[in-house]
Amino acid sequence: MSMPAFRLERPRSVAGAVSILAAHGPDAMILAGGTDVVPNLQMKLFSPRVLVDIKSLAKVCRLSAIEWSPGNGLRIGALSTLTAVCESLLIQEKFPVLARAVATIAGPLQRNMGTLGGNLCLETRCHWYNQSEFWRKSLGGCLKLQVSDALAGKEGPVCHVAPGGRRCWAAWSGDAAPALLTLDAEIEIAGPAGLRRVALAQFYRNDGMDRIALGRDELLTAVRVPPRMAGRRGNYRKLRVRNSIDYPLAGVAVSMDVDPRGVCRDARLALTAVNPAPLLVKEVGEWLIGQTASPELIERVAQQAIRTAKPLTTSGSTPVYRRDMVRVFTRRALEEAWRETAGAPV
Amino acid sequence: MTKHLIKLKVNGEPYEVAVPPNKLLLDVLREDLGFTGSKRGCDDSSCGCCAVLIDGAPMLACVALASSYQDCEITTVEGLGTLDGLHPVQSGFADGGGSQCGFCTSGFLISTKALLDRNPQPSLDEIREALSSNLCRCTGYMQIYESVKLAIERAAARKAANPAGARS
Amino acid sequence: MAMNSVIGKPLPMIESRAKVTGLGKYADDLSVPGMLIGRILHSPHAHAVIRSIDTSRAEALPGVKAVATGRDAPHPYGILPIGHDECVFTVDKARYIGDNIAAVAATSAAIAEQALDLIHVDYELLPAFFDPLESMQSAEHWLHPTKPNNIEKEYHHLFGSVDEGFAQAAFVLEQRFFAGEVTHAAMEPHATLAIWEPDGRLTVHSSTQVPYYLHRTLSEVLEMPMSQIRVIKPLIGGGFGGKSEIIPLEVAASVLAKMAKRPVKITYTREEVFLAHRGRPITIVDMKVGLTEEGKISAVAARVVQDGGAYCGYGPVTVLYSGALLGALYDIPNVRYDGFRVLTNKPACGAMRGHGTVNVRFAFESVLDDLARDAGIDPAEVRRRNLLKAPCITVNGLRVTSYGLPECIEKVVERSGWKEKQGKLPYGKGIGIACSHYVSGAANPIIRSNIPHTTVHIKIDRDAGVTVYTGASEIGQGSDTMHVQIVAEILGVRPERIRLIAADTELTPIDLGSYSSRVTFMAGNACLEAARNMRAQILEGVAAKYKLGTAMLDMRDEQVISLDDSRLRLTFDEAVAAALEFRGALVAKGTYAPPEESRGGKHKGAGVGPSPSYSYSAQTVEVSVDTDTGQIRVEKIIAAHDCGRALNPLTVEGQVEGSVYMGLGQALQEEMVWDNGRLMNPSLLEYKIATTLETPEIESIIVESIDPEGPFGAKEAGEGSLAATIPAVANAIYDAVGVRINSLPITPEKILAALREKGKQQRGGKSGSNGGAR
Repeated sequence: MSMPAFRLERPRSVAGAVSILAAHGPDAMILAGGTDVVPNLQMKLFSPRVLVDIKSLAKVCRLSAIEWSPGNGLRIGALSTLTAVCESLLIQEKFPVLARAVATIAGPLQRNMGTLGGNLCLETRCHWYNQSEFWRKSLGGCLKLQVSDALAGKEGPVCHVAPGGRRCWAAWSGDAAPALLTLDAEIEIAGPAGLRRVALAQFYRNDGMDRIALGRDELLTAVRVPPRMAGRRGNYRKLRVRNSIDYPLAGVAVSMDVDPRGVCRDARLALTAVNPAPLLVKEVGEWLIGQTASPELIERVAQQAIRTAKPLTTSGSTPVYRRDMVRVFTRRALEEAWRETAGAPV
Repeated sequence: MTKHLIKLKVNGEPYEVAVPPNKLLLDVLREDLGFTGSKRGCDDSSCGCCAVLIDGAPMLACVALASSYQDCEITTVEGLGTLDGLHPVQSGFADGGGSQCGFCTSGFLISTKALLDRNPQPSLDEIREALSSNLCRCTGYMQIYESVKLAIERAAARKAANPAGARS
Repeated sequence: MAMNSVIGKPLPMIESRAKVTGLGKYADDLSVPGMLIGRILHSPHAHAVIRSIDTSRAEALPGVKAVATGRDAPHPYGILPIGHDECVFTVDKARYIGDNIAAVAATSAAIAEQALDLIHVDYELLPAFFDPLESMQSAEHWLHPTKPNNIEKEYHHLFGSVDEGFAQAAFVLEQRFFAGEVTHAAMEPHATLAIWEPDGRLTVHSSTQVPYYLHRTLSEVLEMPMSQIRVIKPLIGGGFGGKSEIIPLEVAASVLAKMAKRPVKITYTREEVFLAHRGRPITIVDMKVGLTEEGKISAVAARVVQDGGAYCGYGPVTVLYSGALLGALYDIPNVRYDGFRVLTNKPACGAMRGHGTVNVRFAFESVLDDLARDAGIDPAEVRRRNLLKAPCITVNGLRVTSYGLPECIEKVVERSGWKEKQGKLPYGKGIGIACSHYVSGAANPIIRSNIPHTTVHIKIDRDAGVTVYTGASEIGQGSDTMHVQIVAEILGVRPERIRLIAADTELTPIDLGSYSSRVTFMAGNACLEAARNMRAQILEGVAAKYKLGTAMLDMRDEQVISLDDSRLRLTFDEAVAAALEFRGALVAKGTYAPPEESRGGKHKGAGVGPSPSYSYSAQTVEVSVDTDTGQIRVEKIIAAHDCGRALNPLTVEGQVEGSVYMGLGQALQEEMVWDNGRLMNPSLLEYKIATTLETPEIESIIVESIDPEGPFGAKEAGEGSLAATIPAVANAIYDAVGVRINSLPITPEKILAALREKGKQQRGGKSGSNGGAR
């Protein structure tokens, strides 16, 4: 499969990158590690006229630095490789949910190239969409990516996952985002007006076609985790067929602060790959605060997680099984977090 | 598409080559520079056959735009050793059965080289993990592990024989 | 014979240096000056009449040097003489999404792809068939008008009396099994470089397991004499059957090269590899087995439907293997087999490692396990009670000359701690056993003729270098090394002295190809005969020069020595020089054709299944099942394989472990997923071949039964172990959690559903004879 034609820009500063993006609007696209974007380009999922390769910014603008201070918390440059994130002793020690989630992304070769920013901006995935141009043309396109009218059939673009619907259900398939959601992470975004900070939870739109709240002239530059989240126990459970290479079919991240008596002081639970966005499971924080582990409570949380998960047939596994696993993984993740906190690391 | 002259450093040698901006490093290596040891096994960055070292880290040449890696040290399988001076990972795979059809071999060698550079005495679990984005359809991986162990032994022996001059 | 110096030793493959240095050349690594790049236009429709094709805009595109459609190569072909039903570019209608419509050769890949977009094809859509059971009921719109009801072939075999057999049985079980479609997924995508030579000849470098069949087919389709075509097989990045028939790109590149009078290279994308396919078909098996009180199998009846896809390919052979090998692993007196090969609007299936045996073996070994429990017999023991007594002829006429299965079972039972584990592990953990076997090449060639299946030449001239010419195809399995070992052994020389020239139709004599595990047995025997002839020539020369008898001369350690005169000691070079004085350059030939008595019975379809020899395998698999998620962890697999004699233990073990790995993939995670004829996972990201992290420890044990006709006693090693892995996994899961999964792949979801069903039944007070959840 050959690559589409484009002009390549390699800006030397964040401002330079932003101005190129601003100048080209929807014709420009950001390239970082390339593990997601390049195969998608080969499949002709997008046809940018300008590709803005921001790898050149890694060294000049601290965009690959991982920094910690008790006052400011954790700051991870968006161009930090996934390998750098999951092998960071600092992150392993203070934010284990993040290290564990990132360590499950694809395999070591992909993690050496893929960046944290890239994983937070992944294109949503659906097996009716992530296919070659030939394949999609033979199908007649889909809601997320229409083909020429001649091929699309009379009824116009159709969602093959939920026929008749006007919403795209392509699944959010990143592993880092759910972990960071449980850490109340914020992201830094550079744009024409300078830097802005936004809660990661506000970044995702839960729409398969319009996944992230990132302007065409903006660039994600860093991820920040507040210092109060340091030291929280946490873990990540990922459903996949293979233990390497694969995107998640479902994923559950948990972070929890538990006192020495086993009473939960604070907790967050987030899901991935079962909606068009990574989502925090609402209310469970409040339910867990002040509680010790009990099967009833854990089951109640697991049921809430199932209510949050709305997987459709966007991948090789079935919605029924993925929801089932959301329940099992939620239960196990909570049990493990509680157990670890009680002084018996798993 | 307009071609641009880019400079690449591959296996220690400088090259200048005119390529369009959308040309992938794998294709430049194979088509323009004649390093056909790196293979294309898939089209979606999921098989590992194209792995090369970029500044010492194993990466997928099939998703790398050549123009983006002009300031880097690129090492392909051809740069690991020579015919009369095989690198230990090469001789380990040659003799240990780790290379059957050979198509995935260069990718495995690159991943193994990077592993042993970082960790000269890896456990079996560490080997499995380090090689987990390289697919092999022939071996069932058993003789690949044997080959890595052979490479470890030979690297250690070489280092013992020549403590000062041994290159990784 | 003196102790072997090369045979039986773990010799690294002779081309391994070329592979580990990256210097060895595979088809896509080749390029020549003036080379064009070819691309193929595929049908977007599953079933459609081609009303017209307009290529004028593509032809007008600068850089386009040739555009080919069905009109340019209308000669139909197919791997079987009875199945010449495909053209390189389909002429009348498209029969699957991906069918080949046209091709372009251009000065760059980008231009060729652009040109494909400019070809206008006017299609008229037809109803399409995607389900084999529906397809075989169809009244109209058949894929091929000569195949009513979309049935490519059906066979009905009856040996003994199954009715009597079932009447004798104390336990009878009938089950339906389903096996999803799997594909070879060799790491190398197919590639062909076709070079139009200045003298009007064609040279084709191609990723093929069968250069000879490619040679023949190109001659037919291009309407050129075979003598004007040269087929060369470079290094091949794995085949597993996926390169064992003529693949469209091989013909397409050649047609384009002939049209453009230029070299043309086509390399498939990974998606095109999936569309070219020729893998293992969706198979529905209705398996009925009867077991006597004593644990003897009294009858087997199987009905098999295979979803063959849009073209014949190897289909009739696949469905015949399913029947022929069904009853031939054990001693079974009564066998009925009804096999159907059905056409559907999907890519054609074909030969894949364990060709035809795998899905039926899954069904049989699963049922046998359940029957053993019904009869209260240990599953390993029930297999022991049904062994053949070799040498023998099976009920369906297969001649068994050596039979290491008893020892295979003993070895895995002992090594796995079977007796301490089977039925005794805690809930969630289990161990299973199963057996399988395979042919060492087909005794009857695809194209009936009396020519030998293999011929090998050896030449030695003044330089005393030994050159071996063989048509056999190295595809990563060790073919080349096997030849070198045999010649080195017989001539008593170092392997380094031997130069091997293989699979180049201009230089090497015919070998039928690397399929059905025929190379070691057949090419090995031909090579052995050639080496012995060469040895005799050298010794005759030495004997004549030194006035000795040849009987007391021996060749070893690069020398010719006299066993009764220690003064006579010639180096190999001196011996060769002596022989050259009498003969000039030394040329020796060896051939192999399977003996008449190995060629099977006379019933319709009897030609498939017979082999000069069979390999055997027994395996134990240990699993852990997570009963909350249904996820399976395979802890360890032990595979004992009777390869007759391990000419090279290193490569034998590699073949056995690779077979187990591929079987395990089919058992648990590989499946081509279809939606209305559309392949949903045509990529290595979504077609889940196992990584290092799911692959368990595989321990291979070599069993040597020393076949009386194999070269040094050797027989097949590369396929026979695949089939046992799958039922051994299923049986281990049963042992672990008491559910029988009849459908491949055995996904966590299927396990979970079965566990829930079992729970329901138990709560409802019902329980099947084997714990329910069937």
